[in-house]
Amino acid sequence: MMKNQLTVTIFVLFATLLTSLHVSSTEPLSGAELINNNCARCHNSRPIQEFSMSEWKVIMPHMREKAHLTGAEVQAILEFMEIATTPAQAMNVKEVVNLAADPKEVLTRYGCQGCHQVQGAGGTLGPSLDNVISEKGRAFFLRKVKEPQFNNSSSAMPQMPITDDELEALAEFLSSK
Amino acid sequence: MRMKKTLRLATILSAGLMISQPLYAAESSERFVFVGYGDVKYESADVAGTDAFSARFVPIFLFSLNDKMHVEAELEVGLNADGETETELEYADIHYFLNDNTTITAGKFLLPFGQFSANWHPSWINRSIWTPGIYGAHGSSQAMDPMLPILSDVGVAAQQVYQVGSAKVFLDVFMTNGPRSEAEHDEEEVDDDHDIALARLFSPAASIDLDADEDEHGEAFPEVEFEATSSDNNSNKAFGGRIAVALLPSIEIGTSYYQGAYDENGQLDIKANGVDINLISTHAILRGEYIRTETDAFVERDHEDVIDSFSRNGWFLQGTFFIGHVFDGLGSTEIVIEHAQTKKVEEAERWMVGVNYWLDPRSVIKVGYEDTDVVDGPDDKRFAVQFSYGF
Repeated sequence: MMKNQLTVTIFVLFATLLTSLHVSSTEPLSGAELINNNCARCHNSRPIQEFSMSEWKVIMPHMREKAHLTGAEVQAILEFMEIATTPAQAMNVKEVVNLAADPKEVLTRYGCQGCHQVQGAGGTLGPSLDNVISEKGRAFFLRKVKEPQFNNSSSAMPQMPITDDELEALAEFLSSK
Repeated sequence: MRMKKTLRLATILSAGLMISQPLYAAESSERFVFVGYGDVKYESADVAGTDAFSARFVPIFLFSLNDKMHVEAELEVGLNADGETETELEYADIHYFLNDNTTITAGKFLLPFGQFSANWHPSWINRSIWTPGIYGAHGSSQAMDPMLPILSDVGVAAQQVYQVGSAKVFLDVFMTNGPRSEAEHDEEEVDDDHDIALARLFSPAASIDLDADEDEHGEAFPEVEFEATSSDNNSNKAFGGRIAVALLPSIEIGTSYYQGAYDENGQLDIKANGVDINLISTHAILRGEYIRTETDAFVERDHEDVIDSFSRNGWFLQGTFFIGHVFDGLGSTEIVIEHAQTKKVEEAERWMVGVNYWLDPRSVIKVGYEDTDVVDGPDDKRFAVQFSYGF
């Protein structure tokens, strides 16, 4: 009986201590990077288009506990998913034109470096983009972005709502690497 | 009286924590999602003498009550050898997101002991067709005597996530109803080791007979049953937890603890320690766990019954190699190699080799061969083909 009381007391005190602590990262959170860092710890990343955004909003709290994500991290992932599932035609035309002029902004907007390295910076879920065009060709790159699973059925790469202008600008930028 | 005070204290503290947070946050536009996984398997096994197809369907129901509360439940539905449909409640719990870093869980949940139980055992996630030898076969049978089942129990848990520099620290604690002596439930026929911990206790001095139900003194070997129930055979709750450090996306290392009294008087404990590792790279995944259990039992010493403790230990290491990343023509093919050992009591070791082909990121065809060498018992060889899918 004494042992049982001790167990309950220790558990309650420990749980209370835990909940009183609150430590957050000061680094800005990238949803793509969080997907890169966490999903593949246990399983292949699921294609974002597999579920609707309203479904992801129910699924992500389940994954929050499973993968030990914080609330802010879940929010960052959902924001990235919103970008990845927003049809290109719904985007602001002026913004698209401006982004297309700067391929680095395109990389940022679609979170490419969450999973791929460019000039040594970025995630490792996917291959580096530095030599992708020189090694596999421009046609491969263009098709891979448009049809991410065409050469690898288990690829987790989402089909981004990238415009043709943005894609061309990105291909030009990566060709110069 | 003291117990009442302790419970009162726990209630007051919990209530205080709850009312410090707004109970209702903004409603999500969607509340319910139906996901899950399933598999179909053909297996040929020597010891079990089976050569058959089998199938399972494991629906997961997710409800988002609001931004603070989330309900989840998983059922496992399968056919047994007699054609009867078996259904098991794998988990059914509610998460309360107390703050950005803290989650409180209550209900029936997968215990955060190691990683295999909590995260890796679903067939579309586990790279092998079978569970590692140190864990129960989870619905089928195996020649290797496991150390623990897939742990799931009824109680409460708390989870905390810390960001420490570039590392993340995960802390989980839980308190549940706990295990009980299998002897108390001998009226229930046990056909396989599903949710039964085969933590058999053998006197070190006794000769080990794996098939015997009694030792040389005619005393029954105690067994510990972990199957979750909404009751407790003693007033002692099981407790434990896991602490892990993760340098994402590449490394996660954790250590776990479990302790629970299993007899009616709460005098005999089973304790388990574990270490788990998960290394992820672009070309391979390496997963492994080491478990050590200590189980108390009454033994006769100088004509008196005294409590002694008997230990077992075991480990597994599973390597998955993405050969399709090296040879373009192989697409999403991967090779899996696994080794597992149990020591001290019921020693055995197992090699497994398999080839997986992913049809898409959540559907895989696995082909595997397993060779189990049991020191004091029949060896086993198994071959299987499994089609697993997540949905």
